[in-house]
Amino acid sequence: MNPAVFEIGKFARLTVIWLSIIFGAVWAACWAVGVFAPALINASGMPTETASLASEVLRALVPVVAVAVFIPINAMFMVLCERRALALFTVRKGPNRVGPDGLLQTAADAVKLLFKEDITPHGADAVMFTAAPIIFFAPSIIGVLPLLAAASGNHELFRSVNLPTGIFYVLAIASIPVVGIVMGGWASNNKYSLVGALRSAAQAISYEIPLVLSIVAVCLMAGTLDVVKIADQQKDSLLSWNIFGGGALLPYVNLVVAGLQGNNEQVQAIMQHFQAQPLGPFAAVLMVVCCIIFFGIYITGACAEVNRIPFDLPEAESELVSGYNTEYSGIKFAIFFLAEFTNLFVVCSIASIMFLGGGHAPLPGLEQGFTEMLGGILKQLPGSKEIFSPGWLINSLVNPSTVSQAFWIILKTYSLVIFAILIRATLPRFRIDQLMAFGWKRLIPLSLILLIALTYLRELV
Amino acid sequence: MEGFPQLTTWAQANVEQAVFYLLAVIAIPLAYGVVCDRNIIRSGFLLIGVFSTIAGLFILLSAQFLALAQIMIYGVGITLVVVIALMLTNPKAEKESMPALSIHKGPAIFVACFLFMCVYLALRSAENWPVKTDVAALSAAENLSRIGQSLLTNYSFHFEFASILLLAALIGAVMLAKAEPAVHDLNELSANEDKLKSSERADDVVKV
Amino acid sequence: MFGLVGRAVESLYYVCVGLWTVAKHTGRAPITKEFPDTMPDLPGAFRGRLALAVNPETSEHLCISCRQCERVCPDKCIDITAHKSPETGKLELIDFKIDHGLCMFCGLCTEVCPTTCIINTNDFEMSDYSREALIYDLKKLTLTQDESAHYFSKKYLPIPKPKPKPAPKPAAAAAKPADGVAAPAKPAPPAAKPAEGAAAAKSAPAATDKPAGDAAATKPTAEKKADDSKDSEKEKAAPEPSAAEGKAEPDKTEG
Ligand code: SF4
Ligand code: SF4
Repeated sequence: MNPAVFEIGKFARLTVIWLSIIFGAVWAACWAVGVFAPALINASGMPTETASLASEVLRALVPVVAVAVFIPINAMFMVLCERRALALFTVRKGPNRVGPDGLLQTAADAVKLLFKEDITPHGADAVMFTAAPIIFFAPSIIGVLPLLAAASGNHELFRSVNLPTGIFYVLAIASIPVVGIVMGGWASNNKYSLVGALRSAAQAISYEIPLVLSIVAVCLMAGTLDVVKIADQQKDSLLSWNIFGGGALLPYVNLVVAGLQGNNEQVQAIMQHFQAQPLGPFAAVLMVVCCIIFFGIYITGACAEVNRIPFDLPEAESELVSGYNTEYSGIKFAIFFLAEFTNLFVVCSIASIMFLGGGHAPLPGLEQGFTEMLGGILKQLPGSKEIFSPGWLINSLVNPSTVSQAFWIILKTYSLVIFAILIRATLPRFRIDQLMAFGWKRLIPLSLILLIALTYLRELV
Repeated sequence: MEGFPQLTTWAQANVEQAVFYLLAVIAIPLAYGVVCDRNIIRSGFLLIGVFSTIAGLFILLSAQFLALAQIMIYGVGITLVVVIALMLTNPKAEKESMPALSIHKGPAIFVACFLFMCVYLALRSAENWPVKTDVAALSAAENLSRIGQSLLTNYSFHFEFASILLLAALIGAVMLAKAEPAVHDLNELSANEDKLKSSERADDVVKV
Repeated sequence: MFGLVGRAVESLYYVCVGLWTVAKHTGRAPITKEFPDTMPDLPGAFRGRLALAVNPETSEHLCISCRQCERVCPDKCIDITAHKSPETGKLELIDFKIDHGLCMFCGLCTEVCPTTCIINTNDFEMSDYSREALIYDLKKLTLTQDESAHYFSKKYLPIPKPKPKPAPKPAAAAAKPADGVAAPAKPAPPAAKPAEGAAAAKSAPAATDKPAGDAAATKPTAEKKADDSKDSEKEKAAPEPSAAEGKAEPDKTEG
């Protein structure tokens, strides 16, 4: 067989197996806590007051349970995926010994890390040394909650975490980890750690500005901070995604389609709209260009925020041993590791919700067709009303629109993750002065100019 | 928390106060630590903790936006920069050159008591410190747009003024940072002087 | 301004070229050698564990106890025990120890060895349970005839001139190299040396069971051939026998 097909096929198999494990586990946990347990409580004949309070508490806990189940398994998968994808890009094999085709490599690594000795270096500030990994990791648990609502298509179990401050909340929480890095680097009593931490702080603070500005641009186009609303505004098709101007091109594409179909009335209607905005087409194209550049700025800023190559100066191995986590070992190191990969996942899922249409399919009709098909199948099931019957089980487990949304957002997010790995396989590391110059002299002015341009273009379209 | 009517009422009845006291119990020792810790960098980190607990208090007051801004700007942005600036100093050397602190104790206690009395009296006299109650009744989303609107309408002057202040501070910082070209060694110095001289000479020639 | 935009576009273009280059290589059949399962195919010049070769044709031990390697080793990890044989009055190798725990595999010893006796093999799997186990003695260091032949051909080394022996006991020498049956080197007439080496290299399989004298008998014809076709080999071979001669000279008592 063609080796390319063979190797990529093996990688795809690994990804599919792990993803089904991850999301199967998350799905099952959410269902158990949010649907099954409340049903059990209601059926057990407790006093109604307590029973409904208890089931409400359980249902409110679902997002937390989902995140708590998701993060460790996902980090394990991402480490394995990164190693295997890097191997693919660099014509190697990658881990392929533990378990069938190396599937269990990172599970074994995780177990090994948990049993390693936990060392606190001499002269370290023990309290802060311990607090640092927690401060680094905790935000990635509480920060992703609003994203869950958008990713699950506003499923009723996750509706409660859909904050009106949505994306602002996510960004504010996502800015906390750098405190953990600086704290850990300072508390380690090690020069390398301290230099790594200072670099990380400088980098995170400077690249947060273009990152936030690109998110602000999206919020500006959407007119809201609410992630669910932002995702829903992009639901029509590829062209309404924010990366393609959030639907700026849509009327013109509609015009062409109507013209081709010979639908004169529609053409007339759209032409009237143009007469009101003579600069419209020009502005729309410019807006699309702006949005694509903003997407690039976001990806750059996000890579810098989560310390990925080419911005991994905080842990530049060749200069700083391992940067801020040099002195960490055992479970604390595992937590740093976990959080790093979770942060990568979070920034990629923010990108796919804010720019790439969230859980919505790229082509119109795809999502609706799938939902209707699955709904039709589910309706066929016998006895779907009766509690605890097989029909009820499946009906409460499978929500057609959530399934479709989850599929698309998983696809988009992990594609971005693999793109980040491709970048890692390609680009060398920046020098610190290049990094700062690039951030302050190029990215920030560029994003400010584009933001102003976008504000005016939005009025012209 | 829409969708959880019972939980919300129960939480309002039982949890809110508990959380308030919990935050207070965390915040006060942290604040004490900020003032009293011998290690100035550690007190910087404790300050971040204090700001975070205050953000928690804002959440209890259902001021989500304020809480998040508090975390993002004060907790992480500003305090972290302060901590890093502290790391770049040499606390031991500073300590040696500092005069004995005890002479400041009396005035410090006086100022602290004075400030406390001011705040206390202001809070006591409710009519001098009117607290709007209807704002909290707004939903969080309305709250958010209300903040945005008032920042750009009623309070736009204050808003702009604050940004000008920040801009001035920024420019000041730039001026401080590039005040003089750093002279690394004597060769460079003399080279610079030579250049200066030659330019002066050129100027002279032009003048002549 | 436009320069800046141009530069941005240009650098973006190069980044994309890089990404595309990496992406093009995606999924090519891996070049990984799965080491414990398949041994890597190492080049002859690979500097692995040290070993002492025997003459691939006559299986006599090549070491002449000249101690050049001991002297040149920067880590002082070679330890040679030799004495003057009471019967022949020549240096006789008793033991040869190399501490591989100290060795840094610089290969200097193999450079100076006049008889190409000490060589770097391709073997690198030497992990052991104690440091003492890394000190290899003569028995462990000496290669068999086949192994020597393998490395001589792999490293393109000229086959050394066999030492003419008064009482040839090749079988004993091959079986018990540890006994240090190092026959005294008897330098042949200088003119014959390169030719002899070349001839031996040419007719390796035939020469192995022939006595040394026979190989010498084919001298005249072989010399011409060697001159014609094996110039480079001759050049390589030339200094070594003469060096052997030089080293052997002080101990020369007979012939
Ligand atoms: S390879 Fe170098 S270090 Fe090792 S024994 Fe030879 S000369 Fe000494
Ligand atoms: S002949 Fe070679 S191995 Fe023997 S002592 Fe001399 S240099 Fe060392």
